[in-house]
Amino acid sequence: MKLPPGPALRAVRCLAGGTALALVLSACAPQDDVVTLDFFQFKPEAVADFGAIIDRFEAANPGIRVVQNHVPDADTAIRTLLVKDKTPDVLTLNGNGRYGELAEACVFADLSDLPVVEQVRPAVGDIIGDLGSCSADEVNAVPFSNNASGILYNKDLFEQHGVEVPTTWDELLAAAQTFEDAGVTPFYTTLKDAWTVSPAFVNLGGALQPEGFFDRLRAEGLDVASGEVSFSQDYPEAMEKLTTLYGFGQDGAASRDYNAGNAAFGAGESAMYMQGSYAIPAIRASNPDANIGSFPYPATNSPEDTVVVSGVDVAVSVGRDTEHPEEARRFVEFLMSPEVVQQYAEDQSAFSPLATGAETTDPALAGLAPYFDDNRIIGFIDHQLPASLPLPQYLQELALGGSVEDFLSVMDREWSKIAARTIPNEKD
Amino acid sequence: MSTDVSRPARPGTPPPALRQDRRVPRVFYLMVLPAVALFAVFHTLPLLTGMFFSLTNYAGYGEWSFVGLQNYANLFGDDRIYGAYGFTFLFAIVSTIAVNIIALAVAIALNGRIRFKTGFRGIFFIPNILSILIVGYVFNYLFSNSVPAIAEALGITSLTTSILASPDTAWIGVVILSVWQAAAFNIIIYLAGLQTIPTELYEAAALDGASPWKQFTSITFPMIGAFFTINMVLSLKNFLQVFDQIISLTAGGPGTSTESISVLIYRGGFQGGEYGYQTANAVIYLFVIIAISFIQLRILQRREASF
Repeated sequence: MKLPPGPALRAVRCLAGGTALALVLSACAPQDDVVTLDFFQFKPEAVADFGAIIDRFEAANPGIRVVQNHVPDADTAIRTLLVKDKTPDVLTLNGNGRYGELAEACVFADLSDLPVVEQVRPAVGDIIGDLGSCSADEVNAVPFSNNASGILYNKDLFEQHGVEVPTTWDELLAAAQTFEDAGVTPFYTTLKDAWTVSPAFVNLGGALQPEGFFDRLRAEGLDVASGEVSFSQDYPEAMEKLTTLYGFGQDGAASRDYNAGNAAFGAGESAMYMQGSYAIPAIRASNPDANIGSFPYPATNSPEDTVVVSGVDVAVSVGRDTEHPEEARRFVEFLMSPEVVQQYAEDQSAFSPLATGAETTDPALAGLAPYFDDNRIIGFIDHQLPASLPLPQYLQELALGGSVEDFLSVMDREWSKIAARTIPNEKD
Repeated sequence: MSTDVSRPARPGTPPPALRQDRRVPRVFYLMVLPAVALFAVFHTLPLLTGMFFSLTNYAGYGEWSFVGLQNYANLFGDDRIYGAYGFTFLFAIVSTIAVNIIALAVAIALNGRIRFKTGFRGIFFIPNILSILIVGYVFNYLFSNSVPAIAEALGITSLTTSILASPDTAWIGVVILSVWQAAAFNIIIYLAGLQTIPTELYEAAALDGASPWKQFTSITFPMIGAFFTINMVLSLKNFLQVFDQIISLTAGGPGTSTESISVLIYRGGFQGGEYGYQTANAVIYLFVIIAISFIQLRILQRREASF
């Protein structure tokens, strides 16, 4: 069969190439003057939200088409794309340690000249800058939304049992004991998913660790065992407290996963839930009437030391070698416009990273919002750990009944082993 | 396995012209060429690329530089890798033995004079054509929800918590899924073997008054020796590479209790950004598997009955 050359042939080729390829090949665009941006979007909860944002952007920019690419297990997917040298034009990633490693490998464009960089809250800008960047004066991602990690609680159950929101560690234990005595599960724990132990680790560890712990640990490199800071020396209190809280979990926690936890907490099966703002949309999806409140982890008995752990939930980057830098920047600027950021924050129960952003009105976040506004926030400490250290797995082992001592010595050993085999590139 | 002896003897020496004709025609080599080329491009070349990257600090992206044999040196001091080796070998040996016992038993049953024989053969082959990942998620649901619910209804307290939830028992779940899935293929090979045994042997043995067990140990098992060898070698090799089963059932957990070497390589290499280091691990593992398969083949072939 012979096809006439021209548009018909190209259409057939595009179909044959499959949708996956069509996303990459801008030659498949209906007209040559339309630029197609490949937009890698990692957050499964927000596919519809980004779809709506893209529709508005395309309506305002007829020359640009944005294709949202969403895959399960985005962390692995982006690495596979990078191995094949197929960096997406625009991408969102969770602002975690893995983002930092990619940024340090110089795969993202420098966005420091974007006007919106100046409008970001300084504390939030520091969090993302601290994760890593290609060089000191570069900005490789702009924060699009912030989360906050604390303890969610069921307001109805607290009222029913006459429990006040705890502000000290002792009050938290007393509250948990009250619920347990009354036959109510204090904390719904979900140990089938290893990562769900991490929020408690980052809150307790982050609040109780000595100043500059990770910087000093990095300076020690492989000599952690004999160094002046180490997990074994500086983390016992945090880990003891973590196991204490997990001791208040329900029976059968080992076979319950995150989704089950969201549904169970939404249904009022426990008084408290150790998850952050990102879990609220899922809990509301299972029960729209869930009466959720929140408070930060009171890690010590002095409330003035209490801080909220906040991270950049969605960071926006541009591929370093994108063929359409102008259009990509236009899309990023549109994403970062105050109304888009605000709308997204409301839909996803997130915090706006913009200094001019309105305060959050979500009642479920009311307990955490003041800390955020006062800049009493710290970053996720697990983002400081190398991705090859299986922290969630070790935490899961600990929460399932492992010993604190074993956990801490394994952390020290893995840290020094990874430090020993991480050989930096020779800088030219 | 001695093919030379069975060649029919020719009367007298063949004439020289006939000998020359025994040379393999060139067209045969040409026919093999495409396969060799494809194998080289899709198998040998990636293998060599991988070996090359095992000498670098490549993270899978970005810049890299040569580190010589540093990755290999570090591998030997990594107790996490020893843990993965320990789990993988324990799992592979248990599964290989279990799958061969079960497959041989089922194959003998399906080879007997039973009703709906072909129907049963089809049913027993189904696990092999299903995707392990999909079956794995189904088993995951069964282990986590159905089995505990049934155990609770029956009052069996030891099974009311999911076996996948405990670091001590999770490996049993992986063995059950793997054996269930792998048995189908081994049954087919054993069935093929059983059909090569001449029925006269059994008739003669029955006349001599040999019991069914005696018939099995003295006729059936020795006669399918070659098939037993193949099944043992292939099972062990496949189980040493266990990956999908673990990803879908336990994702290496709880903790790191079911982390096989393949899972560790994938996790550390792709998710952990240690592509060069884990490639070195993979290269060593490749040689370990080749060596084990080779030794196993030699030992098992020696005890095969020659006929």
